[in-house]
Amino acid sequence: MYLTQLLFLVTNMFQDATDVAPMDTLSEAYSDKWIAAANQGEGFFASFMSSNNLIFVVLGVTLIIWTVLIVYLTRVDKKISLLENQLNHSSNEA
Amino acid sequence: MGGFLINIPFIPILEQTARNLFFHVPMWMAMYAMFLISLFHSIAYLRKADWLADIKAEAAAKTGIVFGVCGLLTGSLWARFTWGTWWTFAEPKMNLAALALMIYVAYFMLRSAFDEPKKRARISAVYNIFAVSTIPFLLYVVPRQLTSLHPGADGNPAFSEITAAELRFILYPAMIGFIALSYWVYDITYRAYRVRYISEQTLRNPI
Repeated sequence: MYLTQLLFLVTNMFQDATDVAPMDTLSEAYSDKWIAAANQGEGFFASFMSSNNLIFVVLGVTLIIWTVLIVYLTRVDKKISLLENQLNHSSNEA
Repeated sequence: MGGFLINIPFIPILEQTARNLFFHVPMWMAMYAMFLISLFHSIAYLRKADWLADIKAEAAAKTGIVFGVCGLLTGSLWARFTWGTWWTFAEPKMNLAALALMIYVAYFMLRSAFDEPKKRARISAVYNIFAVSTIPFLLYVVPRQLTSLHPGADGNPAFSEITAAELRFILYPAMIGFIALSYWVYDITYRAYRVRYISEQTLRNPI
């Protein structure tokens, strides 16, 4: 039961991405027309992010930077571990 | 060092979302710094044919891509709540930045196409010089001619008099800090690649 509730919450979180800003961005540049900024959508995610003067957007931006860097460094770390294993293996053989 | 420096931007001054300036813009500055390092080492490789220079160029380009991806993702989130969309094709700087990253992804595809280290190093160094020469056009010249929501469009300088002056006092240290952070990440990558190269060579020709 909790699982279905959680699933509902998660799907609701990202629902707003589609029902916002139905404007044509291909044929016309809309410089100086910040129409969609006033209409942030209804979803949980959108209303949470636009609360408190958009401070959570800043939080999100910093978290994105942290996540990307950590994921990248973890991958480099894994690569190095693999190399270490190979080296140990080959020195054992010799 | 990077972790210490990253705390600098948290000084509160402006209304909230403008703080993204201290994170989004330095990402690109770090990316430029990395691509410049990459260019420097590619030229050094062509002059001296030193394999370490090739490895350095590769590591710097990789780190540049990582920071470029950070810049794109943060810009996308920021755009969602100020411009209203995650992505728009009416925004030249956004799309050209994505294109610039793809040019650098192609650099790694080119690298992976060669088995012979010397050939790979020489050809990818030449490609890298071409790749870096597109960056100023994609991210400065062309967006300035077109209308855009980014500052610095329509022939304006990016920092105009409407920008609060006190932003600079945080932004410039933040740029230096993030460039230092990117240099640290680059150094880690470079050392990893160096070890990989050495181990490949020893596995190929055991002592």
